[in-house]
Amino acid sequence: MKRILFFMCTVLLINTAYAQIKKIDIVATGLTCSMCSNAIYKQLQSINGVDKVEIDLNKNLFTVILKNEHNLSPKDFKDKVEKAGFFIGSMVLYIDYSNLLIDDGKQEGIYFFIDTKQQTLNGEKQFRVLDKGYVTAKEFKKLLKSYTKYASYATNNENDFHIKLIQ
Amino acid sequence: MRVFFFLFVTLLIHSQTKGQELFVMTEPASNMPTGSIGIRLMNSFMFNKSNNLNYHLMPEIMWGINQKWMVHFQSFQSNRTTKGLNIEGGSLYAKYRFYSNDDIHKHFRLATYGRVSINRADIHQEEIETMGHNSGGELGIVATQLVNKLAISTSVSYEKAIDNTSINKFPETQSNNATNYTLSFGRLMFPRVYKNLKQTNINLMLEFLGQTLNQNGKSNLDVVPSIQFIIRSRARIDFAYRKELYSNMLRTASNGFLIKFEYTFFNVTK
Repeated sequence: MKRILFFMCTVLLINTAYAQIKKIDIVATGLTCSMCSNAIYKQLQSINGVDKVEIDLNKNLFTVILKNEHNLSPKDFKDKVEKAGFFIGSMVLYIDYSNLLIDDGKQEGIYFFIDTKQQTLNGEKQFRVLDKGYVTAKEFKKLLKSYTKYASYATNNENDFHIKLIQ
Repeated sequence: MRVFFFLFVTLLIHSQTKGQELFVMTEPASNMPTGSIGIRLMNSFMFNKSNNLNYHLMPEIMWGINQKWMVHFQSFQSNRTTKGLNIEGGSLYAKYRFYSNDDIHKHFRLATYGRVSINRADIHQEEIETMGHNSGGELGIVATQLVNKLAISTSVSYEKAIDNTSINKFPETQSNNATNYTLSFGRLMFPRVYKNLKQTNINLMLEFLGQTLNQNGKSNLDVVPSIQFIIRSRARIDFAYRKELYSNMLRTASNGFLIKFEYTFFNVTK
């Protein structure tokens, strides 16, 4: 029984950590042409677990739609954008949650919910990733000053992510 | 010519679209995407003093090793001394991007670059050009800024020429090293609004290329206006005209046309 419980908890944890990202909106910075956009497009498309990539060339916005089962974290997408020679200005994750109670500063798998009120999440929600490398350098400087109460934020651990509920 | 020049500058300054930095004559501080391979064919048709055309064909293979490093391998052919094309030499070029400050709609990047070349052609001018004329090397630094939707890039380099093989010695009476400086402007003219990656992009460029020979102070300055077509976001065709604005050094063929083709294969290597 204990084993089953442990297994169920593990599955739940993994699911919370990864599986429910349905879609990601990425705004890339420093672009100058459609050839550059194409480079990012090709990099994002090469990720195993990506279903399709839609582009708004005028906004440098890449909408990445993910397959049902994948083990991808925001870092996989950041690495690919940087491989193309560019950086991320904004990243929004679309994640499905059912009955998850969150609170400001609470950790859930690889995510810390910050700048977010206590509430229960149900259905698809949008979160902005606010870590270094996921916002512009200028914005990160400002955020670092205003998020001093979250001890983990300044550590810049590459494998956990500070996300803010936006919708 | 003046009217054309004025029109060109006006278009560059007043256009309301995004900047461009895929320059024809110079390399920007940005690199190729990691794992991509580009092939390039530079054709230059330069008029020599007797008004004959010197044709130089310079095919090039480029590789983006990672986000910091890229390399080019290039070979040089010309009909300057023979009726057909004669293989004269080749070069290896590497660029290292060491600083990036990117933001929405702007970036500032710095890179350092170097080139080593071998060439067996006869040395026929005071101008030093390790891309196609001289054996030797070049070491430089380039800064590229995207500001108010205009891409501006500038570089300074040191270039040193050595003997073009033991047969074609570098003349002792000439300066064997030079300082080069470039200033490039680029602007995307079309499309005004992007619809998809298949749309042809049209860019206008204006580049200034200068050289000073360090041992005798002789200088030259050229201007190169160009128009560039980017097809299906992977192929490039550039048409340029190189015009000498000033020179007090011996140059064999300083004015002429350039046509450059380029194709990028994305994600070829990891």
